[in-house]
Amino acid sequence: MRKGVMAVVLFWAAGTTMADINVDTLARTCNNCHGLNGVSAGATMPSIGGLPKGYLSKIMKEWKYDKRAAATMNRIVKGFSDDEIDALAAYFSKRRWLPVAQKTSAVQLKLGKSVIRENCEDCHGTYGNDPDIDAPRIDGQSTEYMALELEKYRDEAFDMPHRKMKKTIRRLKDGEVTPVVDYYGAQKR
Amino acid sequence: MPAYDRRAFIKALSAAPAASILSISNAHAAKVKARVVVVGGGYGGATAAKYLRLLDPGIEVTLIERETVYTSCPLSNEVVSGERAIETLQVGYKGIQKHGVRVVHDEVTAIDPAKKSVTTAGGQNFVYDALILSPGVEFNYGAVQGLSKELAESRLPHAWKAGPQTLLLKRQLEAMPDGGRFIIAVPKGPFRCPPGPYERAAQVAHYCKQHGKNKAKILILDANDSFSKKPLFEQAWKALYGYGPDGMIEWVSGANDGKVERVDPDSLTCHTGFGEHNGDVVNIIPPHSAGKVARDLGLATFKNAWCEVKPESMEATGQKDIYVIGDSCVGGDLATNNAFPKSAHMAMSQAKMAAAALVAKINGLPLPVPVYTNTCYSVVAPDWGFSVVHLYRVENGQWVYIKSGSGISPVTLGTPPKPVPRIYRRLEAQYAEGWLRNVLADAFG
Repeated sequence: MRKGVMAVVLFWAAGTTMADINVDTLARTCNNCHGLNGVSAGATMPSIGGLPKGYLSKIMKEWKYDKRAAATMNRIVKGFSDDEIDALAAYFSKRRWLPVAQKTSAVQLKLGKSVIRENCEDCHGTYGNDPDIDAPRIDGQSTEYMALELEKYRDEAFDMPHRKMKKTIRRLKDGEVTPVVDYYGAQKR
Repeated sequence: MPAYDRRAFIKALSAAPAASILSISNAHAAKVKARVVVVGGGYGGATAAKYLRLLDPGIEVTLIERETVYTSCPLSNEVVSGERAIETLQVGYKGIQKHGVRVVHDEVTAIDPAKKSVTTAGGQNFVYDALILSPGVEFNYGAVQGLSKELAESRLPHAWKAGPQTLLLKRQLEAMPDGGRFIIAVPKGPFRCPPGPYERAAQVAHYCKQHGKNKAKILILDANDSFSKKPLFEQAWKALYGYGPDGMIEWVSGANDGKVERVDPDSLTCHTGFGEHNGDVVNIIPPHSAGKVARDLGLATFKNAWCEVKPESMEATGQKDIYVIGDSCVGGDLATNNAFPKSAHMAMSQAKMAAAALVAKINGLPLPVPVYTNTCYSVVAPDWGFSVVHLYRVENGQWVYIKSGSGISPVTLGTPPKPVPRIYRRLEAQYAEGWLRNVLADAFG
């Protein structure tokens, strides 16, 4: 019986309030597209486990209140209360960030490093592992997802917030975008 | 759970055999808290089995599924058009075995709810404390005169369960001459994958355009008067393939005599109430209902076709300790015409709720607050996708469709309205692939 009890305690230990029980249920609906514990198995969707609570909460609320364009997520989050969004952000921020180091060539890494030094490093860090409310972790984030995100920032028809990010991304030359995502996607520290 | 004393709970749990929590005490040794049998290893069944084990490893879970390899129905229209290899949709059961799910490849022949046992064609017998049914759908070939299971497997594939028929339909499309006519017959709803027939029309048109069959015609004969994501499909069809009597894709509604009642398999003629339509490829999707195992138990009480379940747990309304999830069940906000769509994502959402409710019940905990979500992408060309999302909650014991958290991709944006910039469609075509990899991993990984 002991082993079984332990399992229940573990299942239970996730939270001590009714709201927390609810957040487990809510979070499981996110797993479909973002993976168990927020580790995505699909290259076009981001891993979210281990990202800062403030960042996750901020972008979900920006989608909810139409301050950030999205193709799908803005419709999904509108059905959740601000408290639920905060609870989900807290839940996924407590998961472990599991960077997936994606292989790239030495040439691409070198080029990427020179571009990020000039353009990205100040906010995202040299290795992409120094997150804050505005700059999520991107070390070992899926390169396909990051490329799509940068496409959003570069396309004027897509209404993204964050003037600095837009300005920076739009001044990159066409050939510089891929090295940047390949560089950060290859990091694992 | 502030009002709940955890120590008292554990004490209670240690004192009382867990089996007594369930209505019939089948749980045997103290180590196993309860035995759950899951019938059907699609998105719904695999997810239920896996999440039961994730939430409580003290539960013994057996999954019974006929096939050793599962082929995803979602995105299988891309196999028909040649945009995707069928292998990219296939997955085995090793992943969920790693979670401790016992996987049995056999066919369920009988369920005895009194004895709480499941019998298989292979002569095996499984006793359960709780049973989760996720059997998919059963096709009613008799509803279309002239159609049969044999014809569906040889000459008139429905390809509404991904696998050999998907590949057969692909070969038929490849053999279709330029100027040929591809007929898709859609049954009266509800049916599995509401946007599927219309996505298929687009994928077939995409194939024809890619292969110089510019005079081909895709005729959708529909028993219904509207369909899922209609403005999005019509916008895309018009922009990409031409839509209407002069376009490559044409849709005939039920009100305009679109319902196919009879088929002549030799001349490939579809007969509607007043008309007849000849095709070079005839793809009739027969009406369907809850899977056979659920029907045999008398659970298909809704319109004699679908299984009614409790909103807080997915437990069948008519049978204690039997849960029905996936395409076989009926749920959602029926009063406002917002039933649960029969989709893979929805089945997984139901599976997770059923698993969580069952784990709570087995452990004597309060039922979790339910929430059900759906996300469904349709891909009409390699760089053109769109989606619908759904959110349901449960209030006063009833499902409530949450409109603010539901809806289709925008058709237009801004004032005055302009067609949505292309980047939105490109993104959602990409997201469809990410969705596929993630749902396969979440259900089977």
